Amino acid sequence: MEITTRTRGDFTIVAIAGSLDSITSPQAQQALDAAIAGGVRKLAMDFTQLDYVSSAGLRVMLGTAKQLMAKSGTLKTFGLNHTVREVFDISGFSTILAVYGTEGEALGGGGDD
Amino acid sequence: MGSEMPHGIRLVIGTERGEVARAHAAFAEFAVARALPDGVRRNLSVVLDELLANTLSHGLAGRAGGTVSMDVKLAADRLTVTLTDDGAPFDPFSRAAPDTTLSVADRPIGGLGIHLVRQLVDEASYERRGDHNVVVLRTRLNGGTSPSEEG
Repeated sequence: MEITTRTRGDFTIVAIAGSLDSITSPQAQQALDAAIAGGVRKLAMDFTQLDYVSSAGLRVMLGTAKQLMAKSGTLKTFGLNHTVREVFDISGFSTILAVYGTEGEALGGGGDD
Repeated sequence: MGSEMPHGIRLVIGTERGEVARAHAAFAEFAVARALPDGVRRNLSVVLDELLANTLSHGLAGRAGGTVSMDVKLAADRLTVTLTDDGAPFDPFSRAAPDTTLSVADRPIGGLGIHLVRQLVDEASYERRGDHNVVVLRTRLNGGTSPSEEG
């Protein structure tokens, strides 16, 4: 798994490439916790290069959503492949997280997708 | 059919947490070699992660020298994965499905992994065979639970 961070407007975009599972989730958790501790309140997760997510990864997303909610922040996700979308749907995460198709749809403005 | 490529793999892993990574890598390699649809490979990767992490943290927790084996077999249009461990009796499917309609604040996360397992393969079963836990997963490659539509 690789994590890269960039900013767009007032959003911080965290891209996760590879898998978000029981092996890689602690590293992702650490990166997201650090971003929030560093003051990030508007966060977008770029899943364009995410291969699959298991419940360990969902736990990270849930923890991040709760932290941001407590600080009146925002969490958006985009770029889910079929399997990631299916896992979000099965687990009910599609209804508790904001899911968008593309970065342009998630963050608006001139779409770069 | 008529292929000389291996129709299956068998892997025995230890009980350290990092061993799950080895199972993931072996399955991914097999999936690529046999050109399994991406949707099937991804679904099974999720399922393996749930079950192996579960096994290592429950049935084999705190035990040194336990083993887990993973058998993957491809026959015609069906993939069968069998996970066997010599840990304490543990039926991963014995828990009730979680309430996935709860809001983000009220939601307990436990049980979600097994819910995913049930949904992402066509059949999932458990049996205690002698002093082993045996989980068998079956999924069709075509017309299954998840068509592959993206790279």
